[in-house]
Amino acid sequence: MSGINKSPWLLHYDASSCNGCDIETLACLTPIFDVERLGVLNTGNPKHADIFLVTGAVNEQSKVVIQNLYRQLPEPKVVVAIGACASSGGIFRDCYNILGGVDKVVPVDVYVPGCAARPEAIIDGVVKGLGVMGEKQAALTSLLAGLDNVVYARAEKTDAPSLHDLRKMAAQRDAVLHHSNTLPTLRQTVKSLEEEFGTRIFVKAVVNGKIIGAVSGSPNGPMVQVYGPAVHPYFENTGVRRDLLKEIEAAFPEAKRFETSAGHKSEVLLRDLAESGYQNFNTEVSTPNITRVHLRKVRP
Amino acid sequence: MNPWIRLILYLVFAPLAGCLLAGWDRRVSARMQSRRGPPILQPFYDVRKLWQKQNLAVCPSQNYYVLFFLVLVIFTGALFFFGSDLLLVIFALTTASIFFVMGAYKASSPFSFIGAERELIQMMAYEPMVLLTAVGMYMVTKTFYVDGIANQKGLLVLTLPGVFLGFVYMLEIKFRKSPFDLSSSHHAHQELVKGITTEFSGRTLAMIEVAHWYESVFLLGWVYLFFASSPILGVVMSLLVYGFVVLVDNVFARLKWQSALRSAWVVTAVLGVGNILVLSLWR
Repeated sequence: MSGINKSPWLLHYDASSCNGCDIETLACLTPIFDVERLGVLNTGNPKHADIFLVTGAVNEQSKVVIQNLYRQLPEPKVVVAIGACASSGGIFRDCYNILGGVDKVVPVDVYVPGCAARPEAIIDGVVKGLGVMGEKQAALTSLLAGLDNVVYARAEKTDAPSLHDLRKMAAQRDAVLHHSNTLPTLRQTVKSLEEEFGTRIFVKAVVNGKIIGAVSGSPNGPMVQVYGPAVHPYFENTGVRRDLLKEIEAAFPEAKRFETSAGHKSEVLLRDLAESGYQNFNTEVSTPNITRVHLRKVRP
Repeated sequence: MNPWIRLILYLVFAPLAGCLLAGWDRRVSARMQSRRGPPILQPFYDVRKLWQKQNLAVCPSQNYYVLFFLVLVIFTGALFFFGSDLLLVIFALTTASIFFVMGAYKASSPFSFIGAERELIQMMAYEPMVLLTAVGMYMVTKTFYVDGIANQKGLLVLTLPGVFLGFVYMLEIKFRKSPFDLSSSHHAHQELVKGITTEFSGRTLAMIEVAHWYESVFLLGWVYLFFASSPILGVVMSLLVYGFVVLVDNVFARLKWQSALRSAWVVTAVLGVGNILVLSLWR
Protein backbone atom coordinates (compact mmCIF):
# COMPACT_ATOMS: atom_id res chain seq x y z
CA MET A 1 0.00 0.00 0.00
CA SER A 2 1.38 3.38 -0.87
CA GLY A 3 -0.04 6.47 -2.55
CA ILE A 4 1.12 8.44 0.45
CA ASN A 5 1.89 11.34 -1.88
CA LYS A 6 -1.71 11.81 -2.94
CA SER A 7 -2.73 13.68 0.16
CA PRO A 8 -0.03 16.06 1.38
CA TRP A 9 -1.19 17.99 4.40
CA LEU A 10 0.84 21.09 5.12
CA LEU A 11 1.93 22.93 8.20
CA HIS A 12 3.15 26.45 7.55
CA TYR A 13 5.33 28.39 9.96
CA ASP A 14 6.89 31.80 9.55
CA ALA A 15 10.24 31.87 11.35
CA SER A 16 10.78 35.64 10.88
CA SER A 17 10.82 37.58 7.68
CA CYS A 18 9.31 40.33 5.62
CA ASN A 19 6.14 38.17 5.23
CA GLY A 20 6.57 38.07 1.45
CA CYS A 21 7.01 34.31 1.29
CA ASP A 22 4.06 33.74 3.67
CA ILE A 23 1.77 35.70 1.45
CA GLU A 24 2.97 33.73 -1.56
CA THR A 25 2.52 30.45 0.33
CA LEU A 26 -1.06 31.31 1.23
CA ALA A 27 -1.60 32.48 -2.34
CA CYS A 28 -1.15 28.84 -3.37
CA LEU A 29 -4.46 28.06 -1.67
CA THR A 30 -6.42 30.72 -3.57
CA PRO A 31 -8.57 29.99 -6.63
CA ILE A 32 -5.79 30.85 -9.11
CA PHE A 33 -3.35 28.21 -7.90
CA ASP A 34 -5.72 26.04 -5.80
CA VAL A 35 -3.32 23.43 -4.47
CA GLU A 36 -6.27 21.54 -2.99
CA ARG A 37 -6.76 20.02 -6.44
CA LEU A 38 -3.58 18.05 -5.63
CA GLY A 39 -5.08 16.98 -2.34
CA VAL A 40 -3.14 19.57 -0.37
CA LEU A 41 -4.70 20.74 2.86
CA ASN A 42 -3.33 23.49 5.07
CA THR A 43 -3.83 21.88 8.46
CA GLY A 44 -2.28 24.24 10.98
CA ASN A 45 -1.78 21.22 13.23
CA PRO A 46 1.65 19.52 13.29
CA LYS A 47 0.18 16.17 14.33
CA HIS A 48 -1.92 16.00 11.17
CA ALA A 49 0.70 17.39 8.80
CA ASP A 50 3.09 15.64 6.42
CA ILE A 51 5.01 18.57 5.00
CA PHE A 52 6.44 21.34 7.13
CA LEU A 53 6.80 24.62 5.20
CA VAL A 54 9.07 27.16 6.85
CA THR A 55 9.49 30.69 5.58
CA GLY A 56 11.97 33.25 6.85
CA ALA A 57 15.34 33.06 8.56
CA VAL A 58 15.65 31.42 11.95
CA ASN A 59 16.23 33.62 14.99
CA GLU A 60 16.74 32.77 18.64
CA GLN A 61 13.01 32.86 19.37
CA SER A 62 11.72 30.90 16.42
CA LYS A 63 14.39 28.21 16.80
CA VAL A 64 12.61 26.49 19.68
CA VAL A 65 9.24 26.72 17.94
CA ILE A 66 10.58 25.15 14.75
CA GLN A 67 12.18 22.29 16.68
CA ASN A 68 8.98 21.74 18.65
CA LEU A 69 6.79 21.67 15.58
CA TYR A 70 9.22 19.42 13.74
CA ARG A 71 9.13 16.87 16.55
CA GLN A 72 5.35 16.82 16.56
CA LEU A 73 5.05 15.83 12.90
CA PRO A 74 4.47 12.10 12.54
CA GLU A 75 6.87 10.07 10.38
CA PRO A 76 7.40 10.11 7.42
CA LYS A 77 7.76 13.88 7.30
CA VAL A 78 9.36 16.39 4.96
CA VAL A 79 10.67 19.89 5.62
CA VAL A 80 10.56 22.48 2.84
CA ALA A 81 12.47 25.75 3.31
CA ILE A 82 10.74 28.45 1.29
CA GLY A 83 12.60 31.51 0.05
CA ALA A 84 16.13 32.80 0.30
CA CYS A 85 15.88 33.57 4.03
CA ALA A 86 14.66 30.12 5.01
CA SER A 87 17.27 28.51 2.79
CA SER A 88 20.34 30.41 3.94
CA GLY A 89 19.41 33.42 6.06
CA GLY A 90 19.09 35.63 2.98
CA ILE A 91 19.76 39.31 3.40
CA PHE A 92 19.29 38.93 7.15
CA ARG A 93 22.11 36.41 7.50
CA ASP A 94 24.54 38.84 9.17
CA CYS A 95 22.07 40.19 11.73
CA TYR A 96 23.10 39.61 15.34
CA ASN A 97 19.98 37.58 16.17
CA ILE A 98 19.80 35.44 13.03
CA LEU A 99 21.10 31.88 13.18
CA GLY A 100 20.80 31.34 9.43
CA GLY A 101 18.58 29.05 7.34
CA VAL A 102 16.16 26.47 8.66
CA ASP A 103 18.74 23.71 8.15
CA LYS A 104 20.64 25.14 11.12
CA VAL A 105 17.96 23.75 13.46
CA VAL A 106 16.11 20.89 11.70
CA PRO A 107 16.98 18.71 8.70
CA VAL A 108 15.66 20.26 5.49
CA ASP A 109 14.66 18.13 2.47
CA VAL A 110 13.76 20.71 -0.18
CA TYR A 111 14.94 24.29 -0.70
CA VAL A 112 12.75 26.68 -2.71
CA PRO A 113 14.72 29.68 -4.00
CA GLY A 114 13.33 33.15 -4.54
CA CYS A 115 12.79 36.46 -2.81
CA ALA A 116 9.92 36.24 -2.48
CA ALA A 117 9.47 32.66 -3.72
CA ARG A 118 6.78 32.55 -6.40
CA PRO A 119 3.69 30.38 -5.84
CA GLU A 120 4.65 28.22 -8.84
CA ALA A 121 8.04 27.59 -7.26
CA ILE A 122 6.43 26.78 -3.91
CA ILE A 123 4.05 24.27 -5.51
CA ASP A 124 7.05 22.81 -7.32
CA GLY A 125 8.88 22.53 -3.99
CA VAL A 126 5.93 20.76 -2.37
CA VAL A 127 5.74 18.30 -5.27
CA LYS A 128 9.50 17.65 -4.89
CA GLY A 129 8.86 17.15 -1.19
CA LEU A 130 6.24 14.54 -2.06
CA GLY A 131 8.91 12.59 -3.92
CA VAL A 132 11.12 12.70 -0.85
CA MET A 133 8.23 11.60 1.33
CA GLY A 134 7.54 8.66 -0.99
CA GLU A 135 11.18 7.59 -0.65
CA LYS A 136 11.06 7.92 3.13
CA GLN A 137 7.85 5.91 3.24
CA ALA A 138 9.35 3.19 1.02
CA ALA A 139 12.37 3.01 3.33
CA LEU A 140 10.13 2.69 6.40
CA THR A 141 7.97 0.03 4.72
CA SER A 142 10.98 -2.05 3.77
CA LEU A 143 12.23 -1.75 7.35
CA LEU A 144 8.83 -2.87 8.64
CA ALA A 145 8.85 -5.78 6.21
CA GLY A 146 12.27 -6.81 7.50
CA LEU A 147 11.19 -6.75 11.14
CA ASP A 148 11.03 -10.55 11.24
CA ASN A 149 14.77 -10.78 10.90
CA VAL A 150 16.13 -8.10 13.16
CA VAL A 151 19.82 -8.66 13.81
CA TYR A 152 21.11 -7.79 17.26
CA ALA A 153 24.83 -7.11 17.48
CA ARG A 154 27.42 -5.19 19.42
CA ALA A 155 27.75 -1.64 18.12
CA GLU A 156 31.19 -0.28 17.30
CA LYS A 157 32.57 3.21 17.54
CA THR A 158 32.00 3.63 13.79
CA ASP A 159 28.26 3.33 14.42
CA ALA A 160 28.30 6.50 16.52
CA PRO A 161 26.85 8.86 13.86
CA SER A 162 23.86 6.62 13.11
CA LEU A 163 23.32 5.91 16.81
CA HIS A 164 23.36 9.64 17.36
CA ASP A 165 20.65 10.12 14.70
CA LEU A 166 18.57 7.36 16.21
CA ARG A 167 18.79 8.80 19.72
CA LYS A 168 17.79 12.23 18.49
CA MET A 169 14.82 10.76 16.67
CA ALA A 170 13.68 8.76 19.69
CA ALA A 171 14.21 11.75 21.98
CA GLN A 172 11.84 13.84 19.83
CA ARG A 173 8.98 11.75 21.13
CA ASP A 174 10.12 12.09 24.73
CA ALA A 175 10.45 15.83 24.29
CA VAL A 176 6.85 16.03 23.05
CA LEU A 177 5.56 13.75 25.82
CA HIS A 178 7.26 15.71 28.58
CA HIS A 179 6.86 19.19 27.09
CA SER A 180 10.57 19.66 27.51
CA ASN A 181 13.27 21.13 25.36
CA THR A 182 16.09 20.42 27.73
CA LEU A 183 16.50 16.66 27.39
CA PRO A 184 20.24 15.94 27.49
CA THR A 185 19.94 13.58 24.50
CA LEU A 186 18.72 16.42 22.31
CA ARG A 187 21.93 18.35 22.93
CA GLN A 188 24.32 15.44 22.71
CA THR A 189 27.03 15.53 20.06
CA VAL A 190 28.49 12.65 18.07
CA LYS A 191 31.82 13.25 19.82
CA SER A 192 30.40 12.83 23.32
CA LEU A 193 28.63 9.69 22.16
CA GLU A 194 31.92 8.32 20.84
CA GLU A 195 33.43 8.92 24.26
CA GLU A 196 30.70 6.77 25.84
CA PHE A 197 32.11 3.79 23.95
CA GLY A 198 35.07 3.85 26.37
CA THR A 199 32.96 2.89 29.38
CA ARG A 200 29.87 1.17 27.99
CA ILE A 201 28.82 -1.77 25.88
CA PHE A 202 26.37 -0.89 23.08
CA VAL A 203 23.91 -3.31 21.47
CA LYS A 204 22.19 -2.32 18.24
CA ALA A 205 19.11 -3.68 16.45
CA VAL A 206 19.67 -3.71 12.69
CA VAL A 207 17.19 -4.20 9.84
CA ASN A 208 18.40 -4.12 6.24
CA GLY A 209 21.63 -2.52 7.40
CA LYS A 210 19.86 0.32 9.18
CA ILE A 211 19.98 0.74 12.95
CA ILE A 212 16.43 0.96 14.35
CA GLY A 213 17.19 0.53 18.02
CA ALA A 214 20.06 0.67 20.47
CA VAL A 215 20.75 0.19 24.15
CA SER A 216 23.89 0.56 26.22
CA GLY A 217 25.05 -0.60 29.62
CA SER A 218 27.96 0.27 31.84
CA PRO A 219 29.09 -2.13 34.58
CA ASN A 220 29.41 -0.81 38.10
CA GLY A 221 30.47 -3.67 40.37
CA PRO A 222 27.71 -6.31 40.42
CA MET A 223 25.25 -3.75 39.04
CA VAL A 224 24.84 -2.68 35.40
CA GLN A 225 23.40 0.75 34.59
CA VAL A 226 21.27 0.44 31.44
CA TYR A 227 20.89 3.50 29.22
CA GLY A 228 18.10 3.83 26.68
CA PRO A 229 16.80 1.62 25.19
CA ALA A 230 16.05 3.90 22.24
CA VAL A 231 13.87 2.69 19.38
CA HIS A 232 13.00 4.39 16.10
CA PRO A 233 9.57 6.01 16.70
CA TYR A 234 8.00 4.05 13.86
CA PHE A 235 8.82 0.78 15.64
CA GLU A 236 7.66 1.75 19.14
CA ASN A 237 5.16 -1.07 19.51
CA THR A 238 7.02 -3.90 17.83
CA GLY A 239 8.82 -5.57 20.71
CA VAL A 240 12.26 -4.50 19.48
CA ARG A 241 12.86 -2.72 22.77
CA ARG A 242 12.11 -5.80 24.87
CA ASP A 243 14.51 -7.81 22.72
CA LEU A 244 17.15 -5.11 23.14
CA LEU A 245 16.78 -5.39 26.92
CA LYS A 246 17.28 -9.16 26.69
CA GLU A 247 20.39 -8.67 24.57
CA ILE A 248 21.99 -6.16 26.90
CA GLU A 249 21.37 -8.48 29.85
CA ALA A 250 22.98 -11.31 27.91
CA ALA A 251 25.98 -9.06 27.24
CA PHE A 252 26.71 -8.96 30.98
CA PRO A 253 26.57 -12.61 32.08
CA GLU A 254 28.21 -11.84 35.44
CA ALA A 255 25.95 -8.98 36.51
CA LYS A 256 23.63 -9.50 39.50
CA ARG A 257 21.22 -6.67 38.85
CA PHE A 258 20.31 -4.04 36.25
CA GLU A 259 19.17 -0.51 36.87
CA THR A 260 17.72 2.07 34.53
CA SER A 261 15.55 5.17 34.59
CA ALA A 262 12.88 6.73 32.41
CA GLY A 263 10.70 9.85 32.26
CA HIS A 264 7.33 9.36 33.95
CA LYS A 265 5.37 10.14 30.77
CA SER A 266 7.19 7.61 28.57
CA GLU A 267 4.35 5.14 28.94
CA VAL A 268 5.42 2.73 26.24
CA LEU A 269 9.00 2.58 27.51
CA LEU A 270 7.80 2.02 31.08
CA ARG A 271 5.44 -0.70 29.90
CA ASP A 272 8.23 -2.48 28.03
CA LEU A 273 10.49 -2.21 31.06
CA ALA A 274 7.77 -3.60 33.33
CA GLU A 275 7.14 -6.48 30.95
CA SER A 276 10.86 -7.22 30.93
CA GLY A 277 10.85 -7.57 34.71
CA TYR A 278 12.02 -4.13 35.80
CA GLN A 279 10.48 -2.82 39.00
CA ASN A 280 10.14 0.74 40.17
CA PHE A 281 12.20 1.44 43.30
CA ASN A 282 12.48 5.22 43.36
CA THR A 283 11.21 8.38 41.70
CA GLU A 284 12.88 11.74 41.63
CA VAL A 285 11.72 15.13 40.35
CA SER A 286 14.44 16.23 37.99
CA THR A 287 12.78 19.24 36.34
CA PRO A 288 9.28 20.71 36.80
CA ASN A 289 8.15 18.75 33.72
CA ILE A 290 9.98 15.48 34.23
CA THR A 291 9.90 13.04 37.09
CA ARG A 292 12.48 10.33 36.61
CA VAL A 293 11.38 6.84 37.49
CA HIS A 294 14.21 4.53 38.57
CA LEU A 295 13.76 0.86 37.90
CA ARG A 296 15.68 -2.23 38.87
CA LYS A 297 15.78 -5.84 37.80
CA VAL A 298 17.49 -8.49 39.89
CA ARG A 299 18.79 -11.47 37.96
CA PRO A 300 17.21 -14.61 39.38
CA MET B 1 -35.71 -6.55 2.03
CA ASN B 2 -34.35 -9.02 4.56
CA PRO B 3 -32.86 -7.10 7.50
CA TRP B 4 -29.67 -9.21 7.37
CA ILE B 5 -29.09 -8.27 3.74
CA ARG B 6 -29.67 -4.62 4.62
CA LEU B 7 -27.19 -4.94 7.48
CA ILE B 8 -24.51 -6.45 5.26
CA LEU B 9 -25.13 -3.88 2.54
CA TYR B 10 -24.73 -1.16 5.16
CA LEU B 11 -21.50 -2.56 6.60
CA VAL B 12 -19.92 -2.91 3.17
CA PHE B 13 -21.25 0.04 1.23
CA ALA B 14 -21.69 2.72 3.91
CA PRO B 15 -17.96 3.61 4.07
CA LEU B 16 -17.89 3.69 0.26
CA ALA B 17 -20.91 5.96 0.04
CA GLY B 18 -19.69 8.07 2.96
CA CYS B 19 -16.31 8.49 1.29
CA LEU B 20 -17.92 9.57 -1.99
CA LEU B 21 -20.20 11.97 -0.13
CA ALA B 22 -17.24 13.52 1.66
CA GLY B 23 -15.32 13.80 -1.62
CA TRP B 24 -18.33 15.32 -3.32
CA ASP B 25 -18.62 17.78 -0.42
CA ARG B 26 -15.04 18.95 -0.89
CA ARG B 27 -15.42 19.17 -4.65
CA VAL B 28 -18.65 21.16 -4.48
CA SER B 29 -17.30 23.42 -1.74
CA ALA B 30 -14.28 24.15 -3.93
CA ARG B 31 -16.54 24.94 -6.90
CA MET B 32 -18.58 27.29 -4.72
CA GLN B 33 -15.32 29.14 -3.99
CA SER B 34 -14.43 29.10 -7.73
CA ARG B 35 -11.66 26.56 -7.24
CA ARG B 36 -11.18 23.27 -9.07
CA GLY B 37 -11.18 21.17 -5.95
CA PRO B 38 -9.65 17.75 -5.21
CA PRO B 39 -10.59 14.45 -6.87
CA ILE B 40 -13.81 12.82 -5.64
CA LEU B 41 -11.78 10.03 -4.04
CA GLN B 42 -9.64 12.48 -2.04
CA PRO B 43 -11.07 11.41 1.37
CA PHE B 44 -10.07 7.85 0.53
CA TYR B 45 -6.54 8.99 -0.38
CA ASP B 46 -6.38 10.89 2.90
CA VAL B 47 -7.38 7.88 4.95
CA ARG B 48 -4.99 5.62 3.04
CA LYS B 49 -2.15 8.02 3.79
CA LEU B 50 -3.11 8.42 7.44
CA TRP B 51 -3.16 4.65 7.80
CA GLN B 52 0.54 4.53 6.88
CA LYS B 53 1.65 7.40 9.08
CA GLN B 54 3.23 7.09 12.48
CA ASN B 55 0.65 7.15 15.26
CA LEU B 56 1.84 9.82 17.70
CA ALA B 57 -0.14 9.55 20.90
CA VAL B 58 0.60 11.54 24.02
CA CYS B 59 -0.99 8.76 25.94
CA PRO B 60 -1.63 5.44 24.22
CA SER B 61 -5.03 4.86 25.83
CA GLN B 62 -6.55 7.81 23.94
CA ASN B 63 -6.52 5.66 20.82
CA TYR B 64 -8.71 2.98 22.40
CA TYR B 65 -11.46 5.51 23.02
CA VAL B 66 -11.42 6.37 19.33
CA LEU B 67 -11.53 2.69 18.43
CA PHE B 68 -14.67 2.35 20.57
CA PHE B 69 -16.07 5.48 18.95
CA LEU B 70 -15.68 3.85 15.53
CA VAL B 71 -17.12 0.51 16.68
CA LEU B 72 -20.12 2.18 18.32
CA VAL B 73 -20.82 4.40 15.31
CA ILE B 74 -20.85 1.31 13.11
CA PHE B 75 -23.05 -0.42 15.71
CA THR B 76 -25.47 2.53 15.73
CA GLY B 77 -25.87 2.41 11.97
CA ALA B 78 -26.13 -1.38 12.07
CA LEU B 79 -29.02 -1.17 14.56
CA PHE B 80 -30.71 1.41 12.38
CA PHE B 81 -30.42 -0.48 9.11
CA PHE B 82 -31.37 -3.73 10.83
CA GLY B 83 -34.70 -2.07 11.57
CA SER B 84 -34.23 -1.97 15.33
CA ASP B 85 -35.64 0.33 18.01
CA LEU B 86 -35.02 4.02 17.27
CA LEU B 87 -34.47 4.81 20.96
CA LEU B 88 -31.73 2.18 21.16
CA VAL B 89 -30.16 3.75 18.08
CA ILE B 90 -30.12 7.15 19.78
CA PHE B 91 -28.54 5.75 22.93
CA ALA B 92 -25.85 3.98 20.90
CA LEU B 93 -25.15 7.18 18.98
CA THR B 94 -24.80 9.16 22.20
CA THR B 95 -22.47 6.57 23.69
CA ALA B 96 -20.31 6.73 20.57
CA SER B 97 -20.01 10.52 20.79
CA ILE B 98 -19.18 10.28 24.48
CA PHE B 99 -16.28 7.95 23.69
CA PHE B 100 -14.98 10.45 21.16
CA VAL B 101 -15.16 13.24 23.76
CA MET B 102 -13.41 11.08 26.36
CA GLY B 103 -10.61 10.33 23.91
CA ALA B 104 -10.09 14.06 23.39
CA TYR B 105 -10.10 14.69 27.15
CA LYS B 106 -7.59 11.92 27.64
CA ALA B 107 -5.17 13.58 25.23
CA SER B 108 -4.60 16.48 27.64
CA SER B 109 -3.93 19.38 25.32
CA PRO B 110 -5.74 22.71 25.70
CA PHE B 111 -6.96 22.56 22.10
CA SER B 112 -8.42 19.10 22.36
CA PHE B 113 -9.94 20.10 25.73
CA ILE B 114 -11.74 23.04 24.15
CA GLY B 115 -12.84 20.77 21.32
CA ALA B 116 -14.14 18.17 23.77
CA GLU B 117 -16.01 20.76 25.81
CA ARG B 118 -17.62 22.24 22.73
CA GLU B 119 -18.53 18.80 21.47
CA LEU B 120 -20.40 18.24 24.74
CA ILE B 121 -22.20 21.56 24.24
CA GLN B 122 -23.12 20.50 20.72
CA MET B 123 -24.48 17.22 22.04
CA MET B 124 -26.57 19.22 24.51
CA ALA B 125 -27.82 21.28 21.58
CA TYR B 126 -28.90 18.44 19.28
CA GLU B 127 -29.87 15.64 21.68
CA PRO B 128 -33.39 17.01 22.52
CA MET B 129 -34.26 17.35 18.84
CA VAL B 130 -33.06 13.83 18.08
CA LEU B 131 -35.25 12.45 20.84
CA LEU B 132 -38.22 14.52 19.67
CA THR B 133 -37.73 13.16 16.17
CA ALA B 134 -38.10 9.64 17.50
CA VAL B 135 -41.11 10.68 19.59
CA GLY B 136 -42.74 12.39 16.61
CA MET B 137 -42.24 9.34 14.44
CA TYR B 138 -43.76 7.21 17.19
CA MET B 139 -46.82 9.43 17.45
CA VAL B 140 -47.56 9.04 13.78
CA THR B 141 -46.66 5.37 13.30
CA LYS B 142 -47.25 4.00 16.83
CA THR B 143 -43.92 2.22 16.74
CA PHE B 144 -40.30 2.97 17.61
CA TYR B 145 -39.04 0.25 15.29
CA VAL B 146 -37.30 1.54 12.16
CA ASP B 147 -38.86 -1.32 10.19
CA GLY B 148 -42.34 -0.32 11.26
CA ILE B 149 -41.71 3.35 10.56
CA ALA B 150 -40.31 2.60 7.11
CA ASN B 151 -43.37 0.51 6.19
CA GLN B 152 -45.79 3.27 7.12
CA LYS B 153 -48.27 4.28 4.42
CA GLY B 154 -48.02 7.94 3.45
CA LEU B 155 -45.14 10.38 3.75
CA LEU B 156 -44.12 11.02 7.34
CA VAL B 157 -42.89 14.48 6.42
CA LEU B 158 -46.43 15.61 5.70
CA THR B 159 -47.48 15.07 9.31
CA LEU B 160 -44.07 15.98 10.77
CA PRO B 161 -42.90 19.02 8.79
CA GLY B 162 -41.67 20.87 11.89
CA VAL B 163 -39.85 17.83 13.21
CA PHE B 164 -38.25 17.34 9.80
CA LEU B 165 -36.97 20.94 9.66
CA GLY B 166 -35.74 20.67 13.23
CA PHE B 167 -33.96 17.43 12.32
CA VAL B 168 -32.25 19.12 9.36
CA TYR B 169 -31.14 21.91 11.69
CA MET B 170 -29.73 19.26 14.01
CA LEU B 171 -27.90 17.64 11.10
CA GLU B 172 -25.96 20.87 10.60
CA ILE B 173 -24.64 20.44 14.13
CA LYS B 174 -24.12 16.71 13.83
CA PHE B 175 -22.05 17.04 10.63
CA ARG B 176 -19.88 19.66 12.42
CA LYS B 177 -20.37 22.10 9.58
CA SER B 178 -20.43 25.89 9.69
CA PRO B 179 -22.10 27.63 11.45
CA PHE B 180 -21.76 24.81 13.98
CA ASP B 181 -18.14 23.73 13.44
CA LEU B 182 -17.38 24.65 17.04
CA SER B 183 -15.63 21.53 18.20
CA SER B 184 -13.48 20.88 15.17
CA SER B 185 -13.10 22.53 11.83
CA HIS B 186 -11.82 21.65 8.39
CA HIS B 187 -10.15 25.01 8.03
CA ALA B 188 -6.71 25.89 9.30
CA HIS B 189 -5.36 28.83 11.28
CA GLN B 190 -7.86 29.19 14.04
CA GLU B 191 -7.87 29.51 17.78
CA LEU B 192 -8.99 25.88 17.90
CA VAL B 193 -6.16 24.36 15.82
CA LYS B 194 -8.21 21.22 15.09
CA GLY B 195 -10.25 21.12 18.25
CA ILE B 196 -11.36 17.68 19.26
CA THR B 197 -9.10 15.88 16.76
CA THR B 198 -5.96 17.94 17.43
CA GLU B 199 -4.11 15.25 19.33
CA PHE B 200 -4.97 12.32 17.08
CA SER B 201 -2.73 11.29 14.24
CA GLY B 202 -2.03 8.38 11.90
CA ARG B 203 -4.38 5.42 12.13
CA THR B 204 -6.45 6.92 14.90
CA LEU B 205 -7.27 9.95 12.77
CA ALA B 206 -8.07 7.59 9.90
CA MET B 207 -10.51 5.76 12.18
CA ILE B 208 -12.21 9.05 13.03
CA GLU B 209 -12.61 9.79 9.32
CA VAL B 210 -14.07 6.36 8.62
CA ALA B 211 -16.45 6.76 11.57
CA HIS B 212 -17.66 10.00 10.00
CA TRP B 213 -18.35 8.19 6.73
CA TYR B 214 -20.52 5.63 8.52
CA GLU B 215 -22.15 8.39 10.53
CA SER B 216 -23.14 10.45 7.45
CA VAL B 217 -24.76 7.46 5.79
CA PHE B 218 -26.66 6.60 8.95
CA LEU B 219 -27.88 10.20 9.39
CA LEU B 220 -28.97 10.44 5.76
CA GLY B 221 -30.73 7.11 6.29
CA TRP B 222 -32.73 8.81 8.99
CA VAL B 223 -33.65 11.63 6.61
CA TYR B 224 -34.84 8.92 4.22
CA LEU B 225 -37.24 7.64 6.92
CA PHE B 226 -39.29 10.83 6.56
CA PHE B 227 -39.95 9.91 2.91
CA ALA B 228 -39.83 6.12 3.29
CA SER B 229 -43.13 5.41 1.54
CA SER B 230 -41.66 6.76 -1.70
CA PRO B 231 -38.10 5.33 -1.96
CA ILE B 232 -36.95 7.44 -4.90
CA LEU B 233 -38.13 10.66 -3.28
CA GLY B 234 -36.42 9.48 -0.08
CA VAL B 235 -33.03 9.05 -1.73
CA VAL B 236 -33.35 12.32 -3.64
CA MET B 237 -34.35 14.19 -0.50
CA SER B 238 -31.47 12.77 1.60
CA LEU B 239 -29.03 13.88 -1.10
CA LEU B 240 -30.70 17.29 -1.30
CA VAL B 241 -30.45 17.68 2.47
CA TYR B 242 -26.75 16.82 2.25
CA GLY B 243 -26.32 19.39 -0.52
CA PHE B 244 -28.11 21.94 1.64
CA VAL B 245 -25.77 21.21 4.54
CA VAL B 246 -22.77 21.78 2.24
CA LEU B 247 -24.26 25.02 0.94
CA VAL B 248 -24.88 26.32 4.47
CA ASP B 249 -21.32 25.33 5.38
CA ASN B 250 -20.03 27.62 2.66
CA VAL B 251 -22.21 30.65 3.26
CA PHE B 252 -22.08 30.95 7.05
CA ALA B 253 -19.39 31.94 9.48
CA ARG B 254 -19.09 30.12 12.77
CA LEU B 255 -21.49 30.91 15.61
CA LYS B 256 -20.43 31.33 19.20
CA TRP B 257 -21.39 28.37 21.36
CA GLN B 258 -23.98 30.45 23.23
CA SER B 259 -25.88 31.28 20.05
CA ALA B 260 -25.46 27.76 18.72
CA LEU B 261 -27.00 26.27 21.84
CA ARG B 262 -29.75 28.89 22.10
CA SER B 263 -30.76 28.68 18.44
CA ALA B 264 -30.78 24.88 18.53
CA TRP B 265 -33.07 24.84 21.54
CA VAL B 266 -35.34 27.52 20.12
CA VAL B 267 -35.66 25.47 16.94
CA THR B 268 -36.34 22.36 19.03
CA ALA B 269 -38.99 24.14 21.09
CA VAL B 270 -40.75 25.87 18.22
CA LEU B 271 -40.51 23.34 15.39
CA GLY B 272 -40.12 20.08 17.32
CA VAL B 273 -42.35 20.60 20.34
CA GLY B 274 -44.77 22.73 18.31
CA ASN B 275 -45.23 20.03 15.70
CA ILE B 276 -45.76 17.35 18.32
CA LEU B 277 -48.20 19.57 20.23
CA VAL B 278 -50.28 20.15 17.12
CA LEU B 279 -50.17 16.44 16.38
CA SER B 280 -51.43 15.49 19.84
CA LEU B 281 -54.24 18.06 19.75
CA TRP B 282 -55.27 17.01 16.25
CA ARG B 283 -55.83 13.39 17.09
